[in-house]
Amino acid sequence: MSKKLLAAVLATAMISSLAVVNAGAEEAKNIPELTTEPLTITLWDIATEDPTKAIQEDAVARFMADYPNITVNQVHQQNDNYKQQLIVAMAAQEAPDMYIHWGGGPMAEYYKSGFVNDITDLYNTYDHPDFIDAAVAQSTYDGKILAIPFGGLSGCDIFYNKTIFEEVGVEVPETITQLEEVCDKLLEAGYVPFSLANGSKWTGSMYYMYLVARHSGNAEFDAAYEQTGSFTSDAFIYAGEKIQDWVKKGYFNDGFNSLITDNGEDRALMYNNPCAMMLHGSWQARSFNTDNPEWYTENIGVFRFPEDEEAKAAGVPQNVEIGTAIGNGFSFNCWKEDGSVDEDKLNACYVLATQYYNDDIYNERQLNENSTTPSIKGYETAITDPVMVTITDVFFNASNVQLWYDQYLPASVTEVHKNCMTELFGLEKTPQEIGEEHDAAMQAALAE
Amino acid sequence: MKNNSLEKARAKSTAIAATVFLAPALLLILIYMIYPIFDTFRTSVYKWNGISADKIFVGMENWKTLISDQVFWMSFGHNIVVMIFSILLQIPIGLLLATFLDATGKKTNIFKIIWFFPYLMSSVAIAFLFNYILSTNDGLFTGIATFINGKRTIIDLLGKNPQALFAVIGVMAWQFTPFYMVYFIAGYSNIDASLYEAAVIDGCTRKDYLFKIAIPLLGPIFKTACTMSLIGSLKYFDMVFNMTQGGPARGTELMATYMYRLSFSEFNMGYGSCVAAGMFILITFIALLFNRIFVVKEDY
Repeated sequence: MSKKLLAAVLATAMISSLAVVNAGAEEAKNIPELTTEPLTITLWDIATEDPTKAIQEDAVARFMADYPNITVNQVHQQNDNYKQQLIVAMAAQEAPDMYIHWGGGPMAEYYKSGFVNDITDLYNTYDHPDFIDAAVAQSTYDGKILAIPFGGLSGCDIFYNKTIFEEVGVEVPETITQLEEVCDKLLEAGYVPFSLANGSKWTGSMYYMYLVARHSGNAEFDAAYEQTGSFTSDAFIYAGEKIQDWVKKGYFNDGFNSLITDNGEDRALMYNNPCAMMLHGSWQARSFNTDNPEWYTENIGVFRFPEDEEAKAAGVPQNVEIGTAIGNGFSFNCWKEDGSVDEDKLNACYVLATQYYNDDIYNERQLNENSTTPSIKGYETAITDPVMVTITDVFFNASNVQLWYDQYLPASVTEVHKNCMTELFGLEKTPQEIGEEHDAAMQAALAE
Repeated sequence: MKNNSLEKARAKSTAIAATVFLAPALLLILIYMIYPIFDTFRTSVYKWNGISADKIFVGMENWKTLISDQVFWMSFGHNIVVMIFSILLQIPIGLLLATFLDATGKKTNIFKIIWFFPYLMSSVAIAFLFNYILSTNDGLFTGIATFINGKRTIIDLLGKNPQALFAVIGVMAWQFTPFYMVYFIAGYSNIDASLYEAAVIDGCTRKDYLFKIAIPLLGPIFKTACTMSLIGSLKYFDMVFNMTQGGPARGTELMATYMYRLSFSEFNMGYGSCVAAGMFILITFIALLFNRIFVVKEDY
């Protein structure tokens, strides 16, 4: 209890020190002057559940209190059909003035179709939170800043059951060879090494992405993306073969291709069954914690994806991490009838996104109530949960953050990629075959 | 003369009444059915991402792609399998249940209600329900197999091909059989009681009446039921999309799920519309062909 108290005191001290730093900056706040005319902003988000909903509504309420002439019409869309709703609204020219997205391919698509304001000038002229570089990079397309991050970062790491590791007598592995040794020992002891719900397809992709990244850094993926290289190059074949080898050895639970991660079926395997590890997005820490805080604290630890020692010897960087540095971003869609930029509205949106979302109150609540680390420099020290500390540490020490393939690739390639992941794990196609399919889809997408 | 003008006046007022009463329905059909069909065909000749203001006219380019699109024809194949098994499962089982309910009368009214439940559930709820039932992690089937075997035994119905498609067909049958059951009950109750009485007087047994009189009399109803099942399974979407998203590895991809994915996930509304238009043509053709082949005498 006293430890918890100490932790709480320390956390408060850290956060208030942050607040002090920012309060100092407040005096010289450099933000665009907003219109005094009545103005209505339509905002779409996917905050349908607390605490996210409460935190985001609070940001909007504080903005409206400071600017009583501006009304923000905040619409919470259901996540499941949000992307479709947005497309329909855009086609009908009724898209919201400010909307949430996940960056990557779709953001580029919205921009190319004229539904995103270029905010590079605003961003360079006025105040904004000190976002980490990876977050700015992910909000940028074609050299232009197109979004303001606000969802916090999500890393991707291996959650493991500390109790099982102790019982079997294995240590956290640092190399892929060690990981395989751990898996073999777990198997001998009657445990299934990895819990996987690959019915969702992007879950299996995490193993593939990491194996590619450990084997070749960003180099081969970037080359394959431009098609100066290929999805059949070394690292992709290596990743595919490793995965199929692991499937054959029984490293994954049986029947993984029909389990859905959104139903928590992979987490369930960690709870009641013999699964010892799970490679997943860092939001799973929050889910574990919500499901059963005591069990979580007692059993769950986390470690970064192990290194490929051969590649390391050859000089390949081993700290490319998979994940998203922005979680969600807001893009703005403010235009006048004649097609020119609606400056008044855009300025208001910019102030709302940078000064009310992303301010200290918002960030502290994100941290404390939502177990989410804001993608802003300085927040890595404000966390207390040891699992989140490791995750954030790994993330902030990454030389490069590779956005999930299924967000980064063009939309048409994403579908091919996801199907290939089922086929690869299901041993229905060889790594070579899925590489060729990726190449064909990528070439078709680039030709457009 | 006078008579004639009265007749005319009556015809005129009937025409006015008909127009007034039909207009709202016609208008709705026009806006929500006819117009979208035409618009789909129009969109199918454009290259369009679904949101951009500029659509590029590409002529028959999309249609050429469609004809050689392996995924589309594979999906069509899945639809045909679904169609055949839907008719083979839903209609006989529906008939069996209806016959049981008709023969036992009021005593079994409770089953009428219980058996109708699946049809009342939303497809999305059914998809979730069966995702849990078929789950390899403590699902119903895995649970039963584990119990019988005495050790952890996994029945993976949704994660592998081709059984995933058959699992989906099974769930569809569970969902739609009640509809045909009610349909056949209605059919039975339309048969005049005097026919049964006459048959009994002529020395007909219950069994003979059922097979030689009642079921043959349901002929036209069979045909309509088959046509509905046929069209339904060719354009089916919601439950499959929510249960498997067309997976694993496109093993349960249907024409409609493919169309949805193209239009809304891949930003390819032009080609998605082309697939929709292609579906429209194929389904119309198959339904007409079916009606032409199976001619049933309508009157008795």
